[in-house]
This record gives sequence, C-alpha cells and structure tokens, in this order.
Amino acid sequence: MRPRVCLVLPLVLSIPLLGCGTKKEGESGSLHRPVVVIAIAGDIDSFNPLFAEDIAAGEINDLLFPALVSSDFDLNSGKLRYGPLLARSWEYANQDRDIVFHLLPNARWTDGTPVTARDVQLTYELYGDPDVASVRQAAVDNLRHTGGKLDIRKSVEAKDDSTVLFHFARAYPGQLFDAGLPILPAHILVNLPRKAIRTDPVNKSPVGYGPFSLARWTPLQEIVLQPNPESVVPYPAKLSQLILRIIPDYRSRLSQLQSGDVDMVSGVRPDDADKLAADARDVEIISTPGRDYDFLGWNNIEIETHAGSSSATIRPHRLFGSSIVRKALTMAINRDELVHAYLGKHGQVAFGGISPLFRWAYDDSLRPLPFDPQGSRELLEREGWKDTGGDGILVRDKVRFSFVLKVPAGDQLRTVVAAAVQQQLKQVKIDMKIEQVERATFWQEVTTRKYDAWLAGFSVPLQMQLDDLWGSDLAKYPFNLTGFRNARVDSILAAARNLKSETDGAALWKEFQRIVHEEQPCTFLYWINSIVAVNRGVRGTRIGVLGTMHNAWEWHVGPAGQADASTSQ
Amino acid sequence: MGTALSLVKFLTRRVLHAIPMIFGLVTLVFFVSRLLPGDQASLFISPGIPPRVAEQLRAQFGLDRSLWDQYLAWLSSTLRGELGYSVAHNAPVRDVLLHVFPNTLLLGGTALVVECFLAFVLAALAIRYVGSWFDRSLSNLTLVAYSLPSFWVGILLLSLFSFSLGIFPSSQMHAVGAEQMGGLTAFGDLLKHLALPALTVAAPGIGAIARYLRTSMTETMRQDHVAAAIGMGLSRGRVFRSYILPNSLGPVISVLGVEIGVLLTGVLVSETLFAWPGMGRLAVMAIFSRDYPMILGCTLSGGALVVAANILADFLRAWLDPRIRLT
Repeated sequence: MRPRVCLVLPLVLSIPLLGCGTKKEGESGSLHRPVVVIAIAGDIDSFNPLFAEDIAAGEINDLLFPALVSSDFDLNSGKLRYGPLLARSWEYANQDRDIVFHLLPNARWTDGTPVTARDVQLTYELYGDPDVASVRQAAVDNLRHTGGKLDIRKSVEAKDDSTVLFHFARAYPGQLFDAGLPILPAHILVNLPRKAIRTDPVNKSPVGYGPFSLARWTPLQEIVLQPNPESVVPYPAKLSQLILRIIPDYRSRLSQLQSGDVDMVSGVRPDDADKLAADARDVEIISTPGRDYDFLGWNNIEIETHAGSSSATIRPHRLFGSSIVRKALTMAINRDELVHAYLGKHGQVAFGGISPLFRWAYDDSLRPLPFDPQGSRELLEREGWKDTGGDGILVRDKVRFSFVLKVPAGDQLRTVVAAAVQQQLKQVKIDMKIEQVERATFWQEVTTRKYDAWLAGFSVPLQMQLDDLWGSDLAKYPFNLTGFRNARVDSILAAARNLKSETDGAALWKEFQRIVHEEQPCTFLYWINSIVAVNRGVRGTRIGVLGTMHNAWEWHVGPAGQADASTSQ
Repeated sequence: MGTALSLVKFLTRRVLHAIPMIFGLVTLVFFVSRLLPGDQASLFISPGIPPRVAEQLRAQFGLDRSLWDQYLAWLSSTLRGELGYSVAHNAPVRDVLLHVFPNTLLLGGTALVVECFLAFVLAALAIRYVGSWFDRSLSNLTLVAYSLPSFWVGILLLSLFSFSLGIFPSSQMHAVGAEQMGGLTAFGDLLKHLALPALTVAAPGIGAIARYLRTSMTETMRQDHVAAAIGMGLSRGRVFRSYILPNSLGPVISVLGVEIGVLLTGVLVSETLFAWPGMGRLAVMAIFSRDYPMILGCTLSGGALVVAANILADFLRAWLDPRIRLT
C-alpha cells in the first residue's frame, strides 16, 4: 500500500491550490476595497528622510513626514508652485532673505505629541550635521552662516511653538524648495547620538504626522500604509490602505498589473505603454514629459598625472577634444529615427541640457543639429580625419578613430540605441565598439572620467541648479562627466545662483543652452517621458513631474469602467 | 554508549575541520570583493548629493581605513555575532539575514523534498523497467534536466505558467491581503507562490539524483544477496524495500550533501527571478550595491549551510550503513 502514498501526496498538497485560483479580470485584489497596490522595483532604504535616498522611499516619507509647504509643478509656466502644508502661511522679511512660517497649531505626531517649531529647528539641525551624514545636507548650505560657520539654531529660529523663522544667506529662487524638507519628530531624535541615528531602530517604526502612517513593513516584500486618523496635514488619507509591493522584475510588475493584482506601475517602457493602452481596457497610461535624458558622453579631456606629484596636465582628448569633431559625431547620428523607433510619442530629441518642461528657461529658438552624414564627413575631414589607412576607418596622425562605448549592463533601451549609433557612425568611417559594464562599476568609472565614451542618462533637478553637471571645477563636480570646462558657463552658473527670481535667469539659461549647443560636450539624444500605468479605478491621482504618490491622501477608488478622475500634471 | 561517543567525536572533529574552511572562504571573499570598483558609500554619490556625504559615510563605517583594519573590524564584529552593518538596508546584517533565512529555508527545503521525491519515483520506475525503452527515455530525460541551467528553467516556467497561462504568480511569497486569508487558503496561497521557484531549484537536482539512484539501485540488484532474496520467493516490493533501497541510498546520500551546494546556487537564481524574499536575492542585491558586510554575511551563512549538510550526509550514510565508521 505504501507506494500509493507517492500518488496521493501530491493530490493532497494540491487541494489548497484549487481554492485559490488566479484573480479574474475586474476582480482586482485591491479595488473592491479602498485599497491601492503599487508595484515598486526595490525595497525602501529607510523610513527616515534623513537617509532615504531612492525615489520610492522619498515619496513614502513625504506621506509620513510632510514638509512645511506643499509643492506642485505648473506645466504652463514650468515652475514649482508652493502651497500651505504644515505651515498654514508664511511671509518674507529682511529684503526677502528671511521667511517666517506660521505652523498649524493642532498638528500632532502619531504618538500624540504636538508638532512644533522646535521639530522644524531640530530637523534642519540634523539635515546639516556632518555626523548624521544626511543625503539632504545641501539644503542647509544656503542658510545664513554666522562668522563663516553654520549655527542652525541661529539660522532656523523657533520663535514660539507655532512660528519658525528661516534666515537665508540671500534671497534666491529655491528658498521655499530648501525649506520644504520633511519634518522629523524632535522628541524622538533629540537624545540620540548623532552618529547613531542612521542605525537606530527608530527608523523602522516611524512616528509621523502625515495623512498616512506605517501599518506594516515586511522587508523585501511589502510596505503597507494606513490612514492616520489624527492627521491635519492635510487630512487623513481616503484610502483604507496603500500597499507598495516590491517586485524587482519589470515583466512581473506588468503582468501583475494586467492580472489586477497591482494597480499602478511606474517606469513603463514606451513599447509596453502602447501595448497596454491597446490591450488592457482597465489600465490608463499617463505619459508625462520627463526630466530624464540620455546622452552619448564624449570625454572632452585627457588627464595626465605626473609621477611623484599631485599635479596633473589636462589636454584635449585625442578623439573628442575638438567641438567640431563632437558636432560631426552628433550630425552623424539620426536622433529623430532613434526617437521614432524606440520612444515613439513618449520622447523627443534633446539638444541643450534644459528640459522643455522648464518653459521659462528653455530656448525654443534653438534647433537640434540635423542628421547630415555628408556634413559630418566634411567636418571631420576639416579637422584632419581622413581615410588614409585603407581599412575604411578615419585616421589622423596615425591615430585611428576607434573607441569603445561603455553602456550600463541590463539596460535594454540603451543597448539597442548603442547598436543603432554604432551602425550610423560606421557610415562616417568611425569604428565604435560597445561594451556593457555592470552598473555600479559603470558609475564609479565614469565619474572618475576613465572612459572615452559612454551612453548614460541624467535626470535634471526641479530647481534649476546645474553646477553639478556643468561646473568646470572637475574635482568638485564629479558629475561633469565629460570634463567640459567653459568660463562663460561658470559665470552663468554663478550668476544664476544669486538671482532673486527664477524668471530673471531666463536669458542666462538661454545663453547657457546656446553655448552647450555650440560646444556639443556630449551628444544629447532624447528626453524620455515618465510613463505610469494605472488602473482606471484609482481616482484623484495627479501623476506627473513630481512623481506618482505626492497627493496620495486624495486618492479614492471607483469602478474601473467609468470615466476617470485621474489627471496628469 | 560507544556509538554515542564516536558520534560526538565525529561531529566535533568535522566542525573543527569546517571552521578554518569557512574562515578561509570568507577571508577570500572579503579580499576578492574589494577588488570591485566602488564601495557602499559610492552609492550615495549622485548629482545633488554633495560628495562630502560619501566621505562622511566612509568615516562613519570605517571604509576609509586600511583593508586590513576593515578586515579585523569585520572579524571582531562577526565573532560577536553581529556580522557587520548594511548601509544599503540601514540595519545590522544579522537582523536582515535572520529575517529572510526562514524564507530561504522554506524554498530550499521544499525544493529538496521535491527533488528527492521525484528523483526516487523516476529511479524506481527506471529500475522497474530496467533496460527497456522507457528506462532509456527516462535516462535521457534526467540527463536533460541535469544539464539545464536553473535560470533557463526558471524563465521557461515563468513564461509558461505565469505570463502565458496565468496559473502561478510570478513573484513574491504571498498575495496581497494574504494576512486576512484563512489557514488553508493562506497555505494554498503560499504553495502557489512556492511552486515555480521550488521547481526551478529542484529541476537539475532531480536529474542528478535520479541518475545516481538508478545506477546505485541497478548495481545493488546485481548483488548475490538480492538474487538470493528473489530466489527465496520474496515479493518484488519486499525485495525492493528491504534489500535494494537501503543498500542503494548510501552513495546517493553523499551526493545529496554535495547537492546542497548546487541547490544554494539554484536558490540564488530562483529567488532573484521570482522575487522570493530570501538570502539568495539578498546576496545578489548586495553584490550590485557593493554591500560588503551583506556579501560576507550571505557567504558565511551559505558556507556554513553547505558544510552542515555535508556533515549530516556523512552521518546519515554511516547510520544507514554500519560498515562505514564515523571517522
């Protein structure tokens, strides 16, 4: 008889499986209840905004620890707009160098302690303390320094429980942006040794005051947020749960969206967006003009270090040192075709380093360099690059125009784009090889300018501060990857830092774009839209430039078939 | 008393031998992993974050000290049972590992059970029809299963049963709202999530063990005592259970000890592919994020598991076959 157990056992084990078949269409796990499930690629790195670095963590922490002000991106003006949040109002003083914030009097932390100006003061003290090593410490750089040193208690003054005064070093466009960091509970953090805050267990059970509180966190699996019934900043969330499921595999995220197991997926690829739009009736595709661009990086310089000395000689790169050659490279690449083939309506050709989103700063009089292989060949010949070697590759001073393009491994879009670029450069007799590099290694090597050429992408900040990407001080700005150095650009960047209003800088930024366009330190390829796929039953979203969850307390759910209230910014 | 004493001696000796082996493994991984460009702090370098943050973190976590000092610091933390601190997870390595270890054990354990069960069934069927076309087909099939890389098996299962047919979920170990399910439904949900990852891990092992078991059983069948038992008129089932099976298991159990190492590799692939929240996925994430303490923690745990499995296999083998002495 015993061998029969072998046959019976699998049947017995499979009985529970029969009782839990996959969900049918419309039986979305979340949408019978006011619950929304978002698929995210990775786990949160910290529930403490001092340390949270990734985008999802930032969005979650914003819901737990609101800032003094709320922000919104106005697509018409291309500027951030600010509204009340913990601060019910504010006014400028001292020639706009100071801002006085008046806090809501009845805000409370989830443990019942009132939220006061002291919380705001300590928060900024922690952001700025080198012992804490917060990723957001740059936010205090523009606060008033006393005797060359920053004393946060003098720069951020708690006048009384509900009044806090920020003293900035000067009036500048990003004052509210810098004052808009998540506020932390002073009564919990004040007594912790500063160096130990990062490792303290308090970061795993956050005490917040926002519209949501943390219900449960299962590392590597899911984060469950629930409404904070006591919240007045701005009010308790309408959903009964907001669940963030950690699903690292992109295909699995899409598959679970289609099966109704999750309601929202960010970072959808353009070709999948079009398929989803055609096939999945219950899914809405929101494609927002993005802040992300891809570019071909040409190392403009070669750095020769001298043995036994800390000095180094910087000279133009043997291949890419001339702006005429870089222009020729750009003209050899058919960027319109790349956008058409790989991004469709979800992208546009890039050319100046400033996103068209920032309408006030974007120079729409500039036009991308045309795809002109013949013109490209002529420019290269003018620079002395000729096919004299007889192997179909350009040569100058016995140097062949041959190089390796490094691409971060596992990036499907960039890999196919690199292959297309390789073919197009071959037409102008340039030999380009492609090498995929593991991502962490790639960024380590590219920021130390070890590569000749690479294909990468950047996301431009919401505040127009481009020093990190274009400042000539190469030691200070490792993300000036190409080693581009231009005195006029430096003075533009410096002047823009000292402007009182963003709009005053429009002329400066347009001049910046013209210089970059002329110098072609890199070949800008395309701006990529941010694409989010969302179940039509999720209502009240304002998915856009600021991300997906920034107004999640307003979300509610309704039948998927009806007209949708979702709006994209 | 004598047997118990020799068992204790055996275990003590093997554990003492294992310690320098694991120590050597971890030391090697420590120094080799540092050959990779970048460190944990370099993760925090991005436009908008001042480079000084990375320097502060390096100082805070001792990454600015010499490699040797870092090694001694890690060793001392490990001897205290802490295993270092993961900047990527903002938590002590020990805590993160303890959290995910049961999940890996569940996946690995289930895969091992499935592996042994199916291998046994296949081997039993093969020797039932030994030499026939059926036996030869099974032999080829198990060879194919053994040759298939885990990641390929996983992708195949995922594409077929998850993306195309939608029978099994593609990731994670619970459905949304599983905490509100009843006992049996929750168990079913877990099994459903476990099915594909476990099969991915088990597939190559099924082939290997089935082949070993079949060979071992065939050899045992040729032994005189088996022929004598058949000659005495004992039933085929009794001969199989009492004579063939016990005498065939010894070599297979040794192989099983080695298979645990292969199984762990499968777990690494399967957990990554199916987003199973276990040690394998953690290890892969740690490599990409240069989370050195986590890499070492996973190496140490994995190494200890393989060594323990081998000791257990040797012990079981001796227990099943009294001719083998525990030395």
